[in-house]
Amino acid sequence: MTEYAAKKFLQMLVTVLGIVTLVFFTLRLIPGDAASAMAGDTLSGEALERLREQLGLDAPLPLQYFGYLGDLLRGDLGETITTRIPIAELLFRALPITLSIALATIVLAVLISIPLGTLAAFMVHKGRRWLDNALTGAAMVIDLMPPFWTALVLLLVFSLGLGWFPASGQLNWNDPSSIMLRLALPVIVLSLSQVATLARITRTAVLDVLNEDYVRTARSLGWSELRVLFRHALKNAALPIATVVGLSFGNLLGGTVIVEFIFTIPGVGNLLITGINSRDYQLVQTLIVVYALVFVLINFTTDLVYRALDPRVQF
Amino acid sequence: MADLSLSSVPAASASFREALGAPFRSGALFHGKVRIALLLLVPILLLTVFAPLLPIQKPLETNLRAMMELPSIQHPFGTDKMGRDILSRTLAGVQISMLVGASVAAIALVSGMVLGTLAGFYGGKVDRVIMTIVDIFLAFPSLLLAIGLVSVMGTGLIPVILAISLADVPRFIRLQRSQVLSLRSRAFIDAARTVDASQFWLMSRHIVPNTLAPMLVAASIAAANAILIEASLSFLGLGIMPPSPSLGNIVRDGQMYLEQAWWISTLPGVVILLITIGLHFLSDGVRELLDPRARR
Repeated sequence: MTEYAAKKFLQMLVTVLGIVTLVFFTLRLIPGDAASAMAGDTLSGEALERLREQLGLDAPLPLQYFGYLGDLLRGDLGETITTRIPIAELLFRALPITLSIALATIVLAVLISIPLGTLAAFMVHKGRRWLDNALTGAAMVIDLMPPFWTALVLLLVFSLGLGWFPASGQLNWNDPSSIMLRLALPVIVLSLSQVATLARITRTAVLDVLNEDYVRTARSLGWSELRVLFRHALKNAALPIATVVGLSFGNLLGGTVIVEFIFTIPGVGNLLITGINSRDYQLVQTLIVVYALVFVLINFTTDLVYRALDPRVQF
Repeated sequence: MADLSLSSVPAASASFREALGAPFRSGALFHGKVRIALLLLVPILLLTVFAPLLPIQKPLETNLRAMMELPSIQHPFGTDKMGRDILSRTLAGVQISMLVGASVAAIALVSGMVLGTLAGFYGGKVDRVIMTIVDIFLAFPSLLLAIGLVSVMGTGLIPVILAISLADVPRFIRLQRSQVLSLRSRAFIDAARTVDASQFWLMSRHIVPNTLAPMLVAASIAAANAILIEASLSFLGLGIMPPSPSLGNIVRDGQMYLEQAWWISTLPGVVILLITIGLHFLSDGVRELLDPRARR
């Protein structure tokens, strides 16, 4: 297991280095450079040169690159160009919010989709397909709804119409109930498409297992349907489900950008959009790397969990 | 010489051509899922194409006497704060969506096929270089990658198409490569090799035609995704910029007036949904038609 983990970890390091390199050089590909793009028409001549110096853009490219890598290794994420705030400080405030939304979404989605998918599989197995048909159809439509549109529709109905959830306002960490109300809609919006994916996977995985010989054996021993379903079927179906939970995390990260924007939540996504709009390349570069890092870390964990869950895999 | 002998090798592409022709011969164009897809897509397409002939305002035309009007016969989708007709703007947005969807699918399909075939067929160094880059790209969720690329390339139609394509190409390379790997060692390839077929001939006549069906299915899914990502980018203010209408930025415009004028944001979203559902059914139907094993 350790050997496998070490190998995967090394692979992950290579990917991370690749990501940092790719992001660094892509941002240097901009016609002109970051300085002139940032300044627009407002600066010229000497002022532009000074900005370039400030950004370290006057150094040769390889030097800039290794300097950037060194900074990252020391945990120095740099400052925003426009407001001169350390990016690490911004992240320290924004990242917990984004991760809470993502985590709450996964938990909610798993709680809903696994029983739903299992039930659908069970009923197909018993020859009653209506729930399965309804679920498959609904899952497809929900999966294809543009998240920003779903968010606005829910906002219209539940915040503006029924007044159940606040549509905006401060996030106060000392008041958990207000946070929950404030984050409820974004989490619901994001979990909709997660539920669609996960319920479908659960259904297929459980259905596969229900046709296995050992399930028939368990039945022939006179065990109750529920016990067969949970002790045997669901336990063995857990592997593909765990994998998909990990993989769909990437989509989820993309989705957080959209809901944070709509519900004005000060997370990483809003930071990213602010950075792009104010042409703050330092900020954008760092945030893209952070997103990729989170995603790669989740994939790494999924890999390990998969290995640990599957007793058939030999180390 | 080589040509002559090669034509006697069981043509790999025959089965695909047969399959592609089948829907037209057997009238399977009316295959269940394809029919649903056509019922959804054809009317939207016709309305979009003939939008200039419809008795509605032009997409950019303002009418200060009809601001924020509820949907009516005159304005089926209502009007916005400047009295612009939402239906007309939506149809203009659909044009952009279709253009983005088709371009992205075409770019991703072609470059994915070329690079994926090279990686799978040659293996070794070529494979390693291509797949390392692919893996790095796949470390970004596609919407985030598109956002990142647009932040570099700028807003507007061409950067948006390029950004979404770049985010999609790695997936196509990977699919094509895995197909080529499984085909490479098949008997009919060995047979072609024994008659001294060139590598280009092997790839273009025996390998690529056999990989087309899954790639086409992937392309129609990519088109639907591209439409969603373009709409998301434009919604975030990073895609097609106003006043040019795009489905995403119309929804964005309406966000401020959600309470007073629900129709501005919601109705164009329904159109996006109908298009993506249509494309989804199309890809499902095409897959079932081309692959008899998928039929149930």
